[in-house]
Amino acid sequence: MLLIRHRSLAETAKIIHQRSFTSLVEKVPLAPADKILGLTAFYNRDPNPKKINLTVGVYQDAWGKVTTFPSVAKSQKLIDNDLLLNKNLSYLPITGCKDFETNVMNFLFKESMHHPELIEQDRISFIQTLSGTGAVAIAASFLSTFITNEISVPNYSWANHTNIFTKNGFPSVDYYPYYDRKTGQIDFQNWINHLKNLPFLGKPRGILLHASCHNPTGLDPTRQQWEKIIDTIYELKMIPVIDMAYQGLETGNLIEDAHLLRLCLNTDKYPHWNNGIFLCQSFAKNMGLYGERVGSLSIVLPEADSQLKERVNSQLKRIVRGIYSSPPGYGSRIANVLLSTPNLKKQWFKDVKSMVERLQSVRLAMFERLNWPDLINKESNHGMFYFTRFSEGQVNELRTKYGIYLTLDGRLSLSGVNNYNVDYLCEALQNVSKLARA
Amino acid sequence: MSRTIFNTIELLPPDALFGIKQRYNADERKDKVDLGIGAYRDNQGKPWVLPSVKSAELAIHADPNYNHEYLNITGLNALTSGAANIIFGPDSDAIKNERIVSTQSISGTGALHIAAKFLSKFFPERKIYLSDPTWANHQAIFQAQGLVTNTYPYWDNETKSLDLNGFERSIEVAPEGSVFVLHACAHNPTGLDPTKEQWETILERIAYKGHLALFDSAYQGFASGDLNKDAYSIRLGVEKLKRVAPILVCQSFAKNVGMYGERVGCFHIVLPEQDTKEELTTVKKALSSQLSKIIRSEVSNPPAYGAKIVATILNSDELRAQWYKDMITMSSRIMEMRVTLRDRLNELGTPGTWDHIVEQTGMFSFTGLTSEMVARLEKEHSIYMVSSGRASIAGLNKLNVDRVAQSIDEVVRHFTNESKL
Ligand SMILES: Cc1ncc(COP(=O)(O)O)c(C=O)c1O
Ligand SMILES: Cc1ncc(COP(=O)(O)O)c(C=O)c1O
Repeated sequence: MLLIRHRSLAETAKIIHQRSFTSLVEKVPLAPADKILGLTAFYNRDPNPKKINLTVGVYQDAWGKVTTFPSVAKSQKLIDNDLLLNKNLSYLPITGCKDFETNVMNFLFKESMHHPELIEQDRISFIQTLSGTGAVAIAASFLSTFITNEISVPNYSWANHTNIFTKNGFPSVDYYPYYDRKTGQIDFQNWINHLKNLPFLGKPRGILLHASCHNPTGLDPTRQQWEKIIDTIYELKMIPVIDMAYQGLETGNLIEDAHLLRLCLNTDKYPHWNNGIFLCQSFAKNMGLYGERVGSLSIVLPEADSQLKERVNSQLKRIVRGIYSSPPGYGSRIANVLLSTPNLKKQWFKDVKSMVERLQSVRLAMFERLNWPDLINKESNHGMFYFTRFSEGQVNELRTKYGIYLTLDGRLSLSGVNNYNVDYLCEALQNVSKLARA
Repeated sequence: MSRTIFNTIELLPPDALFGIKQRYNADERKDKVDLGIGAYRDNQGKPWVLPSVKSAELAIHADPNYNHEYLNITGLNALTSGAANIIFGPDSDAIKNERIVSTQSISGTGALHIAAKFLSKFFPERKIYLSDPTWANHQAIFQAQGLVTNTYPYWDNETKSLDLNGFERSIEVAPEGSVFVLHACAHNPTGLDPTKEQWETILERIAYKGHLALFDSAYQGFASGDLNKDAYSIRLGVEKLKRVAPILVCQSFAKNVGMYGERVGCFHIVLPEQDTKEELTTVKKALSSQLSKIIRSEVSNPPAYGAKIVATILNSDELRAQWYKDMITMSSRIMEMRVTLRDRLNELGTPGTWDHIVEQTGMFSFTGLTSEMVARLEKEHSIYMVSSGRASIAGLNKLNVDRVAQSIDEVVRHFTNESKL
């Protein structure tokens, strides 16, 4: 038997309360609220009947409703009706569903990028992920473990990028100039200069690129600028980490929108990416599968080498197994049915096109009222977001005086704009724009 | 071929469990049996979608507001509150006094991972104590976050029972404030749980030493068919530690609702009683903000579909009643298979004693078969289980249990005879 001094429980409790628990709790500071999702909570409580929520990047139709795309609804019906598809909620493999892998890789590498040989040569390490966020997180974890813990992220960028990298093995992130707030243009020359002047610390550096529809500015480099940028990145032997969360939302054509990847994979220009290319892809926006968390990470390996691929895959599995074991099934079943059923896929292309057409008509309607030219600059301004360049003061004014919610950096989600609120919105924008951008 | 940094990456062996599944899938023998991964199968050996789940799915699809919008970072409130009710009990003092911070997680693994990431950030020096043996993934989850893991004795192989003395000694010598990971019920892989009295002792010792209890609840209701019985240890812990220390609870709906691949779970932190309401509010806010930040950095927000199904069941009296029946269907079928397997082995006169198969609870039996025997089962008989001798009883059914018993008989005799030579 063990000899243990017996103290009464109450006595113990008191001692421990004093010495361990209080310190335990006091050590946990308040983390800042998430900038975007927190605003929605405020919006929900706002009694203003004219309030408009333009914070979240979720597509709404012309009546302000979040609807399911016809192609997705039909895929869902097929799954729900066909017992064989939905009667099995078993675990997926760690790296996701095999059919999903085949269909998504075909869609991305064959159809979108025109590089079927990458699949044939077995050059891609692929995993199904928890949407785009999950893809960036696994990429970050993999990179920081094996390749590098230095990453350059655009300034501005999606607010969560920094959080993802610093929580997954990167001590800090470097910000490259991207957007010139004064002119509302890409800060092209400074971007290039910044990259060229980065100190070389013995490891290749990752660089995060938004494939299209840059979040939050909605401003993308022109095709000519992209060429110069990728030339520089290639020369500097940086590792492209491409975040493709909005494929299809730039031009309305899913295939066309993969242009940055086609550029990177142009072997005449860039014969050998020494440390591969990381593609983080999401079906959240272009299939409207937001909450179902469907996406993928593809690592285009430096060369065709099946052993290398096996090693990389084994490490990806280890990472996933320690975070969530295996990805969720339902959303991937929808995407899978959609991608593998030709008429549904056709419908999907149409659905994406009509979504973009509506967003463009919103831009036009706003332009007609505001006469702000960048609203309709098709060469550079893309996607769901319009960047007002409003100061925090102006954003607060919009919120408190008009019940119009933008993110604090001045990003406006066009998807919440429709015929019913566009007049009110533009009037408010006009008024607020006259305030000093303090 | 040029060498890149990629060339330094080492090849890892396949994950043991998912590896078994791969070999099983590749095996072309018609009568193969999968006793590897812990997933329920019906009497035809097929995955089973619970009737309560089917009804919930119909209700969800019929809802005109059904869509695929993002959930909150911390998930669906209807899920987390319903889940807290189930695990802490509807009369829980912790619920009444709002001492719980909850968030949705990517099933049980995701909950454990959040716990690990949280601990590594704020209490990186604390040691994590895992039962010996334990679920294969526990060690990896905590070590991946840079935490140091240790084991506490649990299974006494001689007596095939709990090594309570060893367990207590570990609690005694562990540095104060260590984290003890406890299987709430249906211990994986041994299927052996402490008795009520033993839980009293264990939790009192943990309280006395100022350790942190982390309950991993992956099988509530699955073990006995009764949610309350299977939550006994957690509720006792909440009571015993209510003035002492927080409790962490990782809750999975993979097995008890059959949501395996939909990845539905919750992570709860139960706070001890605080001096003032303000103090409680401040602490809860801080904890919740930190958990949000962790989740945001990995998945942004958790998957919706499975969460909606489970929330629908938990919040409907009718569906909950159906779910209780479903759990009894599952647990009683497994019990029947335990009894049948033991009886067949006894009838065959297989060397050794086999009562432990019936005494163990949950989905698994720690059969006592050696890794050589397991390998032979796979090679000669196309029967797959974990090399530790853990068999998922859920993989047995009326059609295969006889063959499994005969095969076990053959491999046991094969090696017992051999060792006598
Ligand atoms: C640039 C960018 N990357 C990634 C994501 C990830 O989204 P999800 O995880 O929902 O696919 C978003 C979503 O807002 C984004 O804007
Ligand atoms: C003890 C234990 N904890 C946690 C889990 C987590 O499983 P999941 O992530 O599927 O909920 C399992 C599953 O096998 C388990 O056995």
